[in-house]
Amino acid sequence: MNIKALLRPQTLLAGALLCGLISCQNKTGGSKDNAGAGGFPRKETLYMAGFQWGEPNTFNPLCDWPAFPVGGNYNLMYEPLMAFNSLTGQMEGLLAKSYVKTDTVISIIMDSRAKWSDGTPVTAADVKYTFEVSKEYPAAPTNYVWNHIGKITQDTVTDADGSKAERLNFYVHKERKNPLCVLDYFTTVRIIPRHYFKTLLDSLKDLSAIQKLKIDQNPVVSGPYTLDTYSGEKIVLKRRDDYWGKVLFQDRLPNPKYIIHPIYKSNEAFSLSLQQGTLDISSTFIPRIWVKQKEGVRTWYPKEPYFVPAAMSMLMINCTKAPLNDKNFRRAMASAINYKEIQNIAFSMYSPDLEPGLILPFGMEKNYYSKEDADKYGVRFNIENAKKILKDAGYTSVFSSDGKTLEYMKNAKGEKVPTLFIKSPAGWTDWEAMVSTAVKSMREAGIDIREGFVDASVYFNSLPTGDWDLLLHAPVPEVTPSQPWRRFEAVLSSRNWKPIGEKMNENQGRFNQPGVKGYNAKIDSLLRVIPSISDEAKKVEAYRALNVIFMEEQPTLPLVYRPEQFYEFSVKNWENFPNEQNPYTPPQIPCFGVGIKALWEIKPTAK
Amino acid sequence: MLKRYPTLRYILSKAGWYFLTFIAAVIINFFLPRMGASNPVDIIMAKVGAGLDTQAAIEKEESYLKEFGLVEVDKDGNIIRDESGKPVQASSFKQFIRYVTMSLQGDFGTSFLNYPKKVSEIILGAIPWTIALQLPTIVLGWIIGNVLGALAAYRRGIFDKFFFPLALLGNAMPFFAFGMLLVWLFAIQMHLFPAIGGYAGDLIPSFSWTFISSAIYHFILPFLSIFLLSAGGQAIGMRSMCIYELGTDYIKYAKWLGVKEHKIIFYMFRNAMLPQLTGLALSLGGMVGGALITEMIFSYPGLGMSVLTAIQGNDYPLIQGCTLLVTICVLIANFSVDIAIGFLDPRVRAGQGAK
Repeated sequence: MNIKALLRPQTLLAGALLCGLISCQNKTGGSKDNAGAGGFPRKETLYMAGFQWGEPNTFNPLCDWPAFPVGGNYNLMYEPLMAFNSLTGQMEGLLAKSYVKTDTVISIIMDSRAKWSDGTPVTAADVKYTFEVSKEYPAAPTNYVWNHIGKITQDTVTDADGSKAERLNFYVHKERKNPLCVLDYFTTVRIIPRHYFKTLLDSLKDLSAIQKLKIDQNPVVSGPYTLDTYSGEKIVLKRRDDYWGKVLFQDRLPNPKYIIHPIYKSNEAFSLSLQQGTLDISSTFIPRIWVKQKEGVRTWYPKEPYFVPAAMSMLMINCTKAPLNDKNFRRAMASAINYKEIQNIAFSMYSPDLEPGLILPFGMEKNYYSKEDADKYGVRFNIENAKKILKDAGYTSVFSSDGKTLEYMKNAKGEKVPTLFIKSPAGWTDWEAMVSTAVKSMREAGIDIREGFVDASVYFNSLPTGDWDLLLHAPVPEVTPSQPWRRFEAVLSSRNWKPIGEKMNENQGRFNQPGVKGYNAKIDSLLRVIPSISDEAKKVEAYRALNVIFMEEQPTLPLVYRPEQFYEFSVKNWENFPNEQNPYTPPQIPCFGVGIKALWEIKPTAK
Repeated sequence: MLKRYPTLRYILSKAGWYFLTFIAAVIINFFLPRMGASNPVDIIMAKVGAGLDTQAAIEKEESYLKEFGLVEVDKDGNIIRDESGKPVQASSFKQFIRYVTMSLQGDFGTSFLNYPKKVSEIILGAIPWTIALQLPTIVLGWIIGNVLGALAAYRRGIFDKFFFPLALLGNAMPFFAFGMLLVWLFAIQMHLFPAIGGYAGDLIPSFSWTFISSAIYHFILPFLSIFLLSAGGQAIGMRSMCIYELGTDYIKYAKWLGVKEHKIIFYMFRNAMLPQLTGLALSLGGMVGGALITEMIFSYPGLGMSVLTAIQGNDYPLIQGCTLLVTICVLIANFSVDIAIGFLDPRVRAGQGAK
């Protein structure tokens, strides 16, 4: 503390100026017992970060992107009906105890013990209201559910123990026939209290007026935590000691009394705070995590690939543009990318070796993967093979006299092929490294391709319009019950076909245009039937067929597997986080899905 | 009419020019962000539209375009569409008129990216931190830099030989490199100061000694990261100005007359000061824009990051709010210096009086 004494002159000046700051911070209800006293005991506080960037805007669940933990798939304040366990592939009960699925209807039984923080029970009426509020107010965030739900009805059943329980029947949309997406909604739609929001909406009759309310004072929630206080620097959640869900945990409460989400301004801050032990758990890309192990930073696996792969980063291809509309050219590209180098250098070895196709050869999707198909139809990295495919398809690459630098390439007609560019956000260093590595080996194989780094806003703007040759993207990274169908849909579906220049939210590369010569109707029909196939063998067959088409046509270029989240934690202050040896929940930050179970199991580190 | 009051005339004519500059700046602030190809709703859609299918995404997008006043609506509040069914975009001119009317009523609108947060709320939350970080650094850096620069010029010798290269180094070193160096040395290696944040992670702002001492403790590294470099820069400028002044006839004459040393230094200092004063005004005016790099390195609270994300996300209302604030502050600071120089510098006064 003698350092402080040394700096007295500045101390005085800064002190005077700081007085101004204090009055300008957001103060919310419930924080008064802490204000002034300052501080949350370290042994009772879990610091987690990576979900809130910048000012918390609102805590209103009727807004589209409220701040942590109201927006996103966080189960801390508002809870969904069920949570999906990616380790077991099972749905676990939350506000709903269980579900029964048929081809046309999925029924859930409500847990009659569930209560809101104001003491009123969580009922089927709340659930129905949450889903149906968008019928009256189309701008409500749950509007999209009607893409896949026909209608919702309510009745009462007698429970196994003889007590009455409320049941809700979700009818699968008759045209879409996609029960998988309805299951997704059970885990992603967070139930809001009808008695609170209906009163508000009925009095104002205007959703956009309600959306301007921040709902940051004593919100009515059902989850284990509620908002304590927040500012531009952090969001503080406080444990609810009357949380109904403790019955699901042998009447125990979560161990951290407070959860603090600090708001950092740069990626380095996460790495630094984890190493210094001021942050306990984080979900940001931190390169070379093994170097940080000596500082107590841990991941799911103690060695490569450190994280559990669950999604793919891929190069989307504009399939409407020559030469990218030629499947031979696309296959040549797939054969010319040095996947191993991307995995090791650009992605810090955070991925297992890439297999051809769109199905992950491990985890939940393993059953649908066929090594035989991958060997037969897929292409792997092999520069000579890439050169051969190009030559057979009539392309000629012209190298400089020393044979090292590619100058240009010509197609079968002898015309010069224009240089292709891979669009990717500038400054996202790991993405930039992936693109550059892919470019390097493709140029070696004679493909005239270059990096096209653009401002992130330009990137997002052009993603749906297809205004690019190739583009780096990680479609639908979330692990939900509908994977891997969602990934196929995101990459192959022509259901909402729009020409280049207009917006498409899936298949942005415009592969397989309906109504033109060469349209493969089988792709779309497989995509339509898979969600409602209940026979496992038939499902495997359908996925295999789709994956074979993908490998033959190569409409996108998967580069590397990536985790659902970068799950990193520090054992300096809390221990017993789930990991490979102790996999009691999936590798999720304990605010997601079933991952919140970790809050009951972690303990202050014994010192 | 104002001939008899040259000072007042000077002030009024300056004020007139500043007002015109202000109008021009407001217009530029409004139209410049809108000249880019991407629009704010696309960026929002990247955030909320990822899981939606195409039709649902279009509906959502239109509801935002409408909410933000970017499309034409009829009197029932329905979006007006062209023949192909696409919404008709609201003209920039109409948006400009609305922006000016609202701003005049003190309403700077709602941020797009931080919807439904008000622009004024965001600025008010961050600006005290920005001022607390920047004001002492700029003022102290300026004072100490100038004093040291003048001393170096006057004293020469060992002091100058040691100090001048150091100041040059400080001036040449980029902020971010120096900031990171400080973090590495004092926070990571020596554990003397915290690496990030404006106050300890387990505190919430309050009028307690715990909070204030924590804020001061966290203030030291960010302060040093700007202060040392800006003092170096100021010192270099001041040193050259003073060396020039030292060669002038009036200083030589004063020395011959045997005027006391501190008096000579004062004369020299006063004359060399004038350009430095303009520099100070500019940095004081610009400071509300935030110290982005310092904020990023130290994850320090402040306006800089909000401005950056606003610009990256085409958050027009927030960009306009911030640039308006910067415009006003720069103009006020410059105006004050112009007036002050008018009083301080006899040459300016004389020039005005002679007209």
